[in-house]
Amino acid sequence: MGNTEKRTALHDWHVAHGANMATFAGYHMPLWYPAGARAEHLAPIRTVGIFDTSHMPMLTVKGPGARKLLQYCFCRDLERCIGKQKGPLVDGRCAYGFFLNEKGHVIDDAIVYQLSPTDYMIVANAGMGATLAAHLGRHPADAGADIRDLTDRAGKIDIQGPEAARLLQRLIRDPERFFDRLIYFSFKGGFGECPSSSVVELLDGTPLLIARTGYTGEFGFELFMSLDAFPALWRKVLDEGKDLGALPCGLAARDSLRVGAVLPLSHQDIGDWPFAANPWLFALPWEEDRCGFSKDFVGAAELKNLETVEHTLPFAGHDPRKIVIGPDTHVTDPQGERIGRVLTCATDMAIGRVDGRIVSLATPAEKGRPEDFNPKGLCCGFVKVNRPLAPGEEVILTDGKRQVKVEIREDIRPDRTARRPIAEMVQL
Amino acid sequence: MKEPRELNLPDRVRYTGDHEWATMAGATVKIGVSDYAQDQLGDIVYVEMPEVGESFDRGATFGTLESVKAVSELYMPLGGEVVAVNKALVDEPELINRDPYDNWIIEIRPSNPAEYDELMTSESYLAMLKE
Repeated sequence: MGNTEKRTALHDWHVAHGANMATFAGYHMPLWYPAGARAEHLAPIRTVGIFDTSHMPMLTVKGPGARKLLQYCFCRDLERCIGKQKGPLVDGRCAYGFFLNEKGHVIDDAIVYQLSPTDYMIVANAGMGATLAAHLGRHPADAGADIRDLTDRAGKIDIQGPEAARLLQRLIRDPERFFDRLIYFSFKGGFGECPSSSVVELLDGTPLLIARTGYTGEFGFELFMSLDAFPALWRKVLDEGKDLGALPCGLAARDSLRVGAVLPLSHQDIGDWPFAANPWLFALPWEEDRCGFSKDFVGAAELKNLETVEHTLPFAGHDPRKIVIGPDTHVTDPQGERIGRVLTCATDMAIGRVDGRIVSLATPAEKGRPEDFNPKGLCCGFVKVNRPLAPGEEVILTDGKRQVKVEIREDIRPDRTARRPIAEMVQL
Repeated sequence: MKEPRELNLPDRVRYTGDHEWATMAGATVKIGVSDYAQDQLGDIVYVEMPEVGESFDRGATFGTLESVKAVSELYMPLGGEVVAVNKALVDEPELINRDPYDNWIIEIRPSNPAEYDELMTSESYLAMLKE
């Protein structure tokens, strides 16, 4: 391990607890712990998983020009991004979207949080803090915006799974008030360099920002705190969560859960190609008639005039067998004609096929989960191909030697819990 | 992950540079993967095995191990014809993680038994891992 690798504040804890470590985006991070990648994938599905996500950079954008700058650089229309009514981003709400460059290619995906009308927080992917800060800095808003890169200067913990609220209520003051009307993609509280008008505190009074968001597509929260409160809170979360089945979960589980939730892996499923013909176009501010955008933004001109595009499509296989993505790996149609490449291929351990249908451990019995359902997992991921394909169509992933037949899907892991009404998930 | 000195590398089997092991069982040879292999791979979720009756040369791919994040090919430590596959691994691939020596993958009739003597002892294998 070289000296140039970065470590999170929990690095020594991970090593001391038997984590299998690896380098990711310049950070020495846990791939899995002794429970194993399978158990860690299943924890956020069945009980609750705990993730060290403090390597994800945080930026703040503050000042009278902050909203205008974000409106220009972030592809979501901040005036039309909340709920079915397409209301504006307001205090305590956040929005998922993409930062594109002038060519309409993806720089990174991120969540933008509104702390106040002139204070915003951005959380992006590991290693991207400086790049995003530079990108924002190149597009100065009229009345000025102050951009700060808080990378490695705050703690962050993801608590994901159906028991997440039950665990959280043991850790915070006034949990009833916290959970009241806490809808998906909203947050309460503030800390350090990200104060807001609401207050959330641990039992000892430590301030936190807690968002109802998460990396895995399952119900849960992201906790943001000052760096000095971080290691103690990590240990406390795991301690309090023991009887709920809480496990520390590494990057392997994080990635496989994310793919099954049809969410893109930064720099793998989204990247230096036009942001078009993919499962995440809800983030583009197309008008109702699809003839134009509701706002101008970096990359808009290119995206409006695209002629040929490649299609990024989710897929799921019929068993756990994957394909290794190497130089010879490609996608063919059932006749063997080469049509594209594989972006991601992982195993979602929580799902299996029952009479051809994909069923999850989280699927209720009345929706078709057999009583003795013990899934072996299914390979799943994304392909990028030269033609549109409908869900249900089969393609073949091959590395030249092995062939894996997979089905193009609209969705992969069913019955995800991310959007469940908060009242169902809390028992005060 | 385990340090080399923490690995279980029994003397009763021989090893390859690709982390398979082989052991003589009378006229046949049982084949599996070493503790190093299962530790590196993590949870094994699927084992692809050949059909009984198939023959492979030494070094040829006879199957694969799937972990959550990766696919690992299995190479014949010596050439021969497959006489048995471990059917228990179909439903419980994680048996290999639990005990990679008790849970063999295939059993072969070697075409050239002298190839067995060319495999590494546990001492040589450990030395290789420490490099």
